[in-house]
Amino acid sequence: MDISGEQQIDAPRERVWEALNDPEILRQCITGCESLEKISDDEMKAEVLAKFGPVKAKFKAKISIEDQIPPASCRLVGEGQGGVAGFAKGAAVITLHESDGGTRLEYKADMQVGGKIAQIGSRLVSGTTNKIVGEFFEKFPTLL
Amino acid sequence: MSVSVVMTVNGEVVAKHVEDRTLLVEFLREHLRLTGTHVGCDTSQCGACVVHANGKSLKSCTALAVQMDGAEITTIEGLANGDVLHPMQEAFRQNHGLQCGFCTPGMVMSAVDLVNENPDPSETEIREWLEGNICRCTGYHNIVKSISAGAKAMREGDPT
Amino acid sequence: MTDNNRGIGEAVVRREDSRFLQGRGQYTDDMNLAGQLFACIVRSQHAHATINSIDGSAAMAMDGVVSVLTHEDFAAYGGVPCGWGVNNKDGSPMAEPKHPILAEGVARHVGDPVAVVIAESPIIARNAAEHVQVSYSELPAVVSMQQALDASAKPIHGDTESNLCFDWELGDREAVDQAIAGAHHVTKLELINNRLVPNAMEPRCAIGDYNSATGDHTLYTTSQNPHVIRLLMGAFVLQIPEHKLRVVSPDVGGGFGSKIYHYAEEAIVTVAAMKLGKPVKWTSDRTEAFISDAHGRDHITTVELALDREGNFLALRESTHANMGAYLSTFAPAVPTYLHSTLLAGQYRTPVIYAEVKAVFTNTVVVDAYRGAGRPEASYLVERVVETAAREMGIDPVELRRKNFIKSFPHDTPVALTYDSGDYAATLDQAMIASDYAGFEARRAEAKQRGKLRGIGIACYVEACGVAPSNIAGALGARAGLYEAATIRVNPTGSISVLTGSHSHGQGHETTFSQLVADKLGIDYDSIDVVHGDTNRIPFGMGTYGSRSLAVGGTAIVNAVDKIIAKGKKIAAHLLEASEADIEFENGEFRVAGTDKMKPFAEIALTAYVPHNFPLEELEPGLEETAFYDPKNFTFPAGTYVCEVEIDPDTGTTEIVSFHASDDFGRIINPMIVEGQVHGGLVQGIGQALLEGCVYDTDSGQLISGSYMDYTMPRADDVPSFSVDTCVTECTHNPLGVKGCGEAGAIGAPPAVMNAIIDALSDYNVRHLDMPATPNKIWSIIHKASAAAA
Repeated sequence: MDISGEQQIDAPRERVWEALNDPEILRQCITGCESLEKISDDEMKAEVLAKFGPVKAKFKAKISIEDQIPPASCRLVGEGQGGVAGFAKGAAVITLHESDGGTRLEYKADMQVGGKIAQIGSRLVSGTTNKIVGEFFEKFPTLL
Repeated sequence: MSVSVVMTVNGEVVAKHVEDRTLLVEFLREHLRLTGTHVGCDTSQCGACVVHANGKSLKSCTALAVQMDGAEITTIEGLANGDVLHPMQEAFRQNHGLQCGFCTPGMVMSAVDLVNENPDPSETEIREWLEGNICRCTGYHNIVKSISAGAKAMREGDPT
Repeated sequence: MTDNNRGIGEAVVRREDSRFLQGRGQYTDDMNLAGQLFACIVRSQHAHATINSIDGSAAMAMDGVVSVLTHEDFAAYGGVPCGWGVNNKDGSPMAEPKHPILAEGVARHVGDPVAVVIAESPIIARNAAEHVQVSYSELPAVVSMQQALDASAKPIHGDTESNLCFDWELGDREAVDQAIAGAHHVTKLELINNRLVPNAMEPRCAIGDYNSATGDHTLYTTSQNPHVIRLLMGAFVLQIPEHKLRVVSPDVGGGFGSKIYHYAEEAIVTVAAMKLGKPVKWTSDRTEAFISDAHGRDHITTVELALDREGNFLALRESTHANMGAYLSTFAPAVPTYLHSTLLAGQYRTPVIYAEVKAVFTNTVVVDAYRGAGRPEASYLVERVVETAAREMGIDPVELRRKNFIKSFPHDTPVALTYDSGDYAATLDQAMIASDYAGFEARRAEAKQRGKLRGIGIACYVEACGVAPSNIAGALGARAGLYEAATIRVNPTGSISVLTGSHSHGQGHETTFSQLVADKLGIDYDSIDVVHGDTNRIPFGMGTYGSRSLAVGGTAIVNAVDKIIAKGKKIAAHLLEASEADIEFENGEFRVAGTDKMKPFAEIALTAYVPHNFPLEELEPGLEETAFYDPKNFTFPAGTYVCEVEIDPDTGTTEIVSFHASDDFGRIINPMIVEGQVHGGLVQGIGQALLEGCVYDTDSGQLISGSYMDYTMPRADDVPSFSVDTCVTECTHNPLGVKGCGEAGAIGAPPAVMNAIIDALSDYNVRHLDMPATPNKIWSIIHKASAAAA
């Protein structure tokens, strides 16, 4: 499943880049995120309670940040284990462009689910994911 | 966490301590050993577990036992009047409305509730009502026939 | 006393219904043994992955967890066996990779069992299963058969050269090629027979029990054939001799083929019970059933039918790819071969036929026999290609069929079968009248006024039931015999226990077999009991599948009854001081011919058990006889189905407005039960045509139609009431003249429905549409055509 889009943010590129690397801001922007910590410069771990249709599970996720070109772009690769609920994994390329005095954030992600989420909830995965992404960008600018 | 539950099942008062997350169907099958109520799916689609709660049909996999505290539950085991089958049970028997018998308890309980609400349902109404009950054996033909016959028998008033 | 109302041919209400209607049936999951533990199976979430490690320590540390088992605990045992071997075109045997009980280093489909947690309650087991840490390295998954056979695809098994299981053929290739090359017209179709999930309403369940003092194992399991499970699991997997292994299949909530096979979970609970010294129960939930029960169908086929100018069939050529899934299930290789290509003659005189079938391994759940097993796939391709040929040549589809019907019997087909009896024109004529075929165009015009597209479709199917003569099945690769056994135990006071190797999981054997015995012995139906489903109570059995219970199991019962009568005559001759040759048996009485001297059956029974006045020098006391019956041929039920549909062009939804079935099942014992079997089969066939389709994500191999919210089971408001009728030509080689009725509906319905849909869409130039014909597919066709016209 491919998810892509862009978002205009009323803040300079450096500020956006900084915020994207701030675990506390990320935690607040991700619906259901119970914890998020940075283990190193290019690794984070998180616990997210997510619900795909009837399947609700706490996902323990590891995210690595690759190809970092501050403050222009990076690639996020993650995998979340939801126990018997299954797993989700994916990769996203995030690019920040200077635009209209602010920043245009472009994202292009590829996501895959497996196990029970795929079996029961796959019809709902793209809807749910789009909702989580939408909520992220609703909240994100307010915390800058 | 263990909680106490008291309810009336097939006319008898039962009191048990159960885990709070115990489903009504688990309570009936595992705690009361009333195994006539069946589990055919885990997404509340198949209807094999339908019972009556306070006179209305309910998928017993969709309710926790604690939610039924104080309720009157009737399962398939409690439908007949002693040795005399309920008219709906008898109609299923006379019209070959069952084959493997697994969906049957839910079908019968659901059908009785339909007729309580709508004493003279048409074929279309019966088929629509059965949206929440899946049968893999009969092709529904004889179930529909059974429910029509059962409704007629219930109307003609065997007050079971 | 003769029971005239409950003999052969009577619509006797079923005796099993009393318990089912009152919740007093006993299905496997209803049983609970003292001290029993509960197993939860950790299954692969990946379609294909290397298993690096399995760490059960966190699970073991949880309260109430008794054991965590992995492949190593089963290293001493064999794998899950395959019961049928098929040879390649060159005579070499098929690839037969190992099928371990628990995945051994590699998981090969989503749902492949990887570890087992055993705990004191089902909830503890389930929670603990979440804490079993399995480290996987994902491997590329081959999901479609095309992917699997691609030159770049790696074999999913380490012990096979490729993902090709076998490349098999049947028939005279050269003759067929020649006939097709010289034909006036050739119709070619490419079609998919969609993968289905059987979905018996009762999920599978198994309980293992072990008595360490005696060394006796008992397995309670949801099986269609407990003796076969005892043989396969005892002899090939766990090395437990028959006398130490009892297999019990109590009430079973539907099978449709999916409960024939020996599954890993049966071996798991048996081993676990022995290791832990306590009974161990495993109950599948529905989600688990979708990824662990054998699926059905899944063929991709090219078929060509060659005709002369007048429409006579000259030749038929089939090339099929059949999906086996990740491993070979019990009967899997037989399904697309001997149960399929042998039926390609259908009801027609096609002089030459050639079939080639490539079976393929993929990273999906195993595929095996599902109601009809190979024959629905055959009937579908024959009836679709005949229909298409008729349309292409401008010949009435009914007349093209009639013209090519086999009219004399016995008939040798070019694909190895000899049809013993049938009257295809009779079922066709009956169906034409019952469905008012002649009046269809008026109905179509009327529907058009309402804005609906109405279509009519027919299918003339034939199937082979009552598997099988053991010597023929053996020559074709079966690794077991396919007879049936029955014992008639006459009790001292004249009541009768019928012990049958057939197994009833909805078919009503307790009623039908009692009718049979009541009729043959002329005794009261209520004094007869039928016992099935327990290897310790029944001498032997091969079980119920392939519509064989009456034709094979029923014949074994009749033969055992005949032995009872023969012995009874000897006893009666002694008591009546007459010659045995003069004793006649009728209506429950042994009589000296031409006299009024007689002894009732009950007195003969009592004499056999209280042999005070008994010819003990010549005859053993007691009255109990066993018969093993091995059929001489398959039986060949056949019929014509007529389906009428209305399509709403705005939504693409198809409504089945009428459906008529005319079947020839030979002689009928209980017409009520037969009709019920037809109804059920029809809805499974209609489900395949309109609703059901098992869908895997082609990249990841994840099953994405894995629940009743995603896999469309037919519901009551998806189907109509049916018109069902029969014609009778008796089977010539069994004493009852019966043919079997369990699978017909699922075999004949899909082509009838699809032919009707194609007919309804005749204004849109649609030549073929693959099943399931969903509203989305149909709407797209209509929409595209409308857009093109605009």
